[in-house]
Amino acid sequence: MNLSGLKTLFLKEVRRFLRVPGQTVLSPLISTTLYFVVFGVSLGGRMEEVTGQPYLPFIVPGLIFLGLANNAFLNTSSSLFIMKIQGTIVDIQVAPLGPWEVLLGFVGGGMVRGLAVGLLTWAVALLFAPLQLAHPAVTLLFLLGTAYVFSVLGLIAAVWAEKFEQINFFPTFVMLPLTFLGGVFYSIARLPDPWRTISHFNPMVYMVEGLRYGMLGSSAFPPLLGGAILLALAVASTAITYGLLASGYKLKQ
Amino acid sequence: MSNAPVLEVEQLVKRYRTVTALDGVSLSIGAGEIFALLGPNGAGKTTLIGAVCGLVKKTSGRMRLFGTDLAIDPIGPRYQVGLVPQEVNFDPFFTVSESLRIQLGYYGRPPDEARIREVLEALSLEGKADAQTRALSGGMRRRLLIAKALVHRPRLVFLDEPTAGVDVELRRELWDYVRKLRSEGTTVILTTHYLEEAEVLADRVGIINEGRLLLVEDKRQLMRRMGEKRLHIRFEVPVEALPLELAGAQLADDRRSLVITERNGHAPTGAVLAALYRAGIPVQDVETRASRLEDVLIEVLRGRGGGA
Repeated sequence: MNLSGLKTLFLKEVRRFLRVPGQTVLSPLISTTLYFVVFGVSLGGRMEEVTGQPYLPFIVPGLIFLGLANNAFLNTSSSLFIMKIQGTIVDIQVAPLGPWEVLLGFVGGGMVRGLAVGLLTWAVALLFAPLQLAHPAVTLLFLLGTAYVFSVLGLIAAVWAEKFEQINFFPTFVMLPLTFLGGVFYSIARLPDPWRTISHFNPMVYMVEGLRYGMLGSSAFPPLLGGAILLALAVASTAITYGLLASGYKLKQ
Repeated sequence: MSNAPVLEVEQLVKRYRTVTALDGVSLSIGAGEIFALLGPNGAGKTTLIGAVCGLVKKTSGRMRLFGTDLAIDPIGPRYQVGLVPQEVNFDPFFTVSESLRIQLGYYGRPPDEARIREVLEALSLEGKADAQTRALSGGMRRRLLIAKALVHRPRLVFLDEPTAGVDVELRRELWDYVRKLRSEGTTVILTTHYLEEAEVLADRVGIINEGRLLLVEDKRQLMRRMGEKRLHIRFEVPVEALPLELAGAQLADDRRSLVITERNGHAPTGAVLAALYRAGIPVQDVETRASRLEDVLIEVLRGRGGGA
């Protein structure tokens, strides 16, 4: 394995988003803070407790998930897609970088951005709700796992997309609805059927609930189930991405 | 110059849906040579380079780089390869020297500021080391591409139209640098639309058209074989008859001029003029024009003198 190449690509990806912090870190942070203000402070006062938690602390894990997942995805998808459009992808295609180096280099960069936004969101949340960290190891696992899975998904979207419209397809038409219907702002247990049953097919639910278990100590599903789903998604998305990169699908003529 | 092949291509085929871009190309490039791959637009030059560099998926055929079959190990040989792509590209997030440091890292090399300075100086970019790549002019961006292709000291460099859009003075400096690379043992494969560039630099020439390699030959040998020299002689007065030595030559209709074509050293200029002098025919003006690689290329593309 070309470790120097992998490290270079990873650091380049991190430096790339740090060059435009207003766009890559500050902007999502402001959006998430607005969610706290609108849903937590403004509406939250009128809400009763959710699964034994006041509403504001209840939505903190979900909002961390939202910032983390979106930004991990956006980093890899925008970076590789822009390289395709600008032609700079030639640099990594000609260089002695195999599929693993490319996958891990991009995904590493995406994870750093996702975790940076997620942790900063958590820091902002401390202005509105007390720190809660019931199971640190579980929290860390779900933070890292979510960042990894969404970074890899971003890479798949970038390989597949040929137009700017297509690169926006996944976050707008898949991630946004699944996230908002994934129990970020409410408990799945409170939904009436058939919505509750339908929600069980949304993988985001298990990630949000896993993080909620790690931070708050309780969740609608056992964390092991969330962990297993996260692991399955990680393995499947990695296998797909490796296959795409190794075959040169939509990257090589 | 060693004769061990740096690149061997055997029966390489690349087919797109309806187009055959490479149609059974076979080629062997030795170490330390400058090989010019020439042909019209869409002939298959960039596709061939792309296939070797991992940008294009071949349909069939074999490629070996430094003796390694790329079907078995597509990555290892690439540590020794540099490519200047035809399309200018740049990463707007980084400065010129950062771009070169990134390039070194991709190729497993530690940051080497001395090498970066050396390459930037060779390409007249030393004053732009800290400039953002988006602030560079078109010519500078192309030079940055060349710097990126060379910074890791590759043993084989592909230059796909390296001097397009580069001014004349700098183009000549680049030629000197390419010659320096060859003197250091680097193999250079060049495509260019400036045939003067190929004429000045190349040791061997390959001519490709419609995906088929029509000819591969030593440049000097090719010019001797297919090149010609046209001798245009203008007389002071109309000439009644030419001397016997020039019996096959045809006077112009006004009998005041004569064009003699010299091939492979036949009918040399000196002998023609001596014959006219001996016959007492007064010559007003003599003009000679030697074939250039461009003429040879056109001849080969028209189907004359090919056969790789």
